[in-house]
Amino acid sequence: MDATILLVEDDPSIREVTAIGLRSAGFTVEVAADGRAGLDRYAAGGIDLVLLDVMLPRMDGLEVAREIRRTSTVPIVMLTARADTIDVVVGLEAGADDYVRKPFEVPELVARVRAALRRGSGASSGSGDPAFDGTPLRLGPLTIDLQGRRVTRDGRDQEIALTRTEFDLLVDLARHPGQVLGRDVLLDRIWGYDYLGDSRLVDVAIGRLRAKIENDPSAPELILTVRGAGYKSAR
Amino acid sequence: MRWPRGVRARLAGALVLLVAATSLVLGVGATAFVDARLHQQALSDAAAQATFDLTVTVPGRQLPDEPTVDDVIRSGLTDTFRRRNVESLIDLGAGETVKSSDALSDLLERLPADVPARVGRGELAYAWLDVGTAPSLVVGGLAPGGDLAVYFVRDVAEISQAVGQLRVVLLVGAAVLILVALVTARTLARGILAPIEEAGRTAERIERGDLLARVPVTSHDEFGTWADRFNRMTDTLADSIRRLEVAQHQNRRFVADVSHELRTPVTALVAEASILREHLDAMPHDTRRTAELLVNDTGRLRDLVEELMELSRFDADAEEAVLERVDLGKLIETVRDARSPKATFQAPAKPVVIDADPRRLERILGNFLDNAREHADDKDVQIELDPSPPDEIVIAVTDRGPGVPEDRLETIFDRFTKVDPSRSGGSSGLGLAIAAEHAALMGGYLQAMDRDGGGLRIELILPKDVARSLPSGDASAT
Repeated sequence: MDATILLVEDDPSIREVTAIGLRSAGFTVEVAADGRAGLDRYAAGGIDLVLLDVMLPRMDGLEVAREIRRTSTVPIVMLTARADTIDVVVGLEAGADDYVRKPFEVPELVARVRAALRRGSGASSGSGDPAFDGTPLRLGPLTIDLQGRRVTRDGRDQEIALTRTEFDLLVDLARHPGQVLGRDVLLDRIWGYDYLGDSRLVDVAIGRLRAKIENDPSAPELILTVRGAGYKSAR
Repeated sequence: MRWPRGVRARLAGALVLLVAATSLVLGVGATAFVDARLHQQALSDAAAQATFDLTVTVPGRQLPDEPTVDDVIRSGLTDTFRRRNVESLIDLGAGETVKSSDALSDLLERLPADVPARVGRGELAYAWLDVGTAPSLVVGGLAPGGDLAVYFVRDVAEISQAVGQLRVVLLVGAAVLILVALVTARTLARGILAPIEEAGRTAERIERGDLLARVPVTSHDEFGTWADRFNRMTDTLADSIRRLEVAQHQNRRFVADVSHELRTPVTALVAEASILREHLDAMPHDTRRTAELLVNDTGRLRDLVEELMELSRFDADAEEAVLERVDLGKLIETVRDARSPKATFQAPAKPVVIDADPRRLERILGNFLDNAREHADDKDVQIELDPSPPDEIVIAVTDRGPGVPEDRLETIFDRFTKVDPSRSGGSSGLGLAIAAEHAALMGGYLQAMDRDGGGLRIELILPKDVARSLPSGDASAT
């Protein structure tokens, strides 16, 4: 795996050891010490995944994430100080696909980075599925082109821009119409958590997905919440 | 509030007693005095009248010497006296008498013996006695010439009537005074007790934590002085409490700041140690052991800093429960599989589903299991889920470790408690304190007890309706 990772982290020790860990796992690593520099480096191109600290000088990680999301669906993994607070939700709502809690162990970080890269690469769902026969998937007015990873709405030409996480989530739900998928199941299939994953990852991603595909995100018709159980797509 | 009634009753009792005693003494004295004066007055009036009659009226009738009964009757003396409301008896000697009324028939026999004797000697003599039914004053004297002894009998019933009236007036007066005393006692008591009751209410407010409550100082009497002292005492106490609160706040703030500052180097350390651990096998023996210790101790440091930060957030009230539907049996199985796969757990046949904060439940149960692993080497650890109490759900973790001495059971949820430091391994002693904070946030609590046959049993008791037991009812279920 020779993906290029942009690591934005202000503490030199953490930055260096993280870079060492990622490089020895086979990644190419670019580093930046503050938010502005990180955004500039991203704009220069060639980045497959952004690893973003939340607390950054000059421009904080949340803002960097929002800025990147305006133009790109590149996977973003946040490094957050705390797992059990609003920080995580804000980070996910800013566009992050996943988060790693500080302090982290390097193998754990590498696993999260790999899982994020695998999404959309065809390994977790979509075209990698042996049952895949090339016909586009339908969900209500949506046409999901698995090979081209494009989602379009009937009557409109413009593609709906989904992050890889959102795309995979949509595909997984659309493939099992009417079937309830628990948060733990989705965490396992989309994010690669076998146990004790953070269900807010699912809830926030569903929220972002609905904002893009539903007519009225507050009264969803395509992806429905099943209280106490999980989510299902409309039949 | 029993004692104000006591003060009221005592004050009223004392005043009534005082008024009653005073009225009695004054009444008896006044009655006796008036009685004596009236008798004296009657006597001197009667004596003067008798002297006048004996020296003027009787000689004026020009009775013959040695008059007969008929002479006396004819003289009309008794009728004259009677017109003045004075009955009379004229003793002619030798048992012959003339009397104005039959009621006087036995008068001479009933008079004390010295009265006729003194009359016989020419003196005026008197006696008080009842004639018929009327209390009377009898005054006797000898008419000039010495033939006739005249006894004037005056009805003095008015004296006892007057005294009786006086007594009634005095009794009514006493009754009025007692009433006045009662009203006065009530008013006085209210005046005395009102500030005391106000002070009582103030003390109650202070007791409930209102450190700004003060007793109003409305008078310059003893109570005013007391209220002033009380307020100064409260000032001092409130000041001390505020200083302690500030100190505690600073202390907690310090802990929060320290753990926050530690986080960055600890994050670097943890990442570095995790890389080092991957390469332990490649190290020479001595270096390798040191590196192993470094990796382990980094883990301990990380746990300690994280636990301190977690507690700091509780201390800063920065935590709130986020509720969602949770299948407790499933959650317990997941945590068990992740943290302590050897622990036994039998999920109830019927799923137990409540609104709760699953992340906090995971944390609590995880800390329970960590504790069991540290103290009982993970052997024979049992998890139970008991939804049978009416309003509560009990999740219990029991182990076969050495247990905890009974007198320490209470303290195991305190911070930095290590019952047996030699067995606590790398534990900080914060795990159960943190679990207790998480439980409290969901309206639950923890308790510890001995397990039958040795070992420790720790229970999480959760209300079935977590949402309702939360202070602000902030249930944001998805």
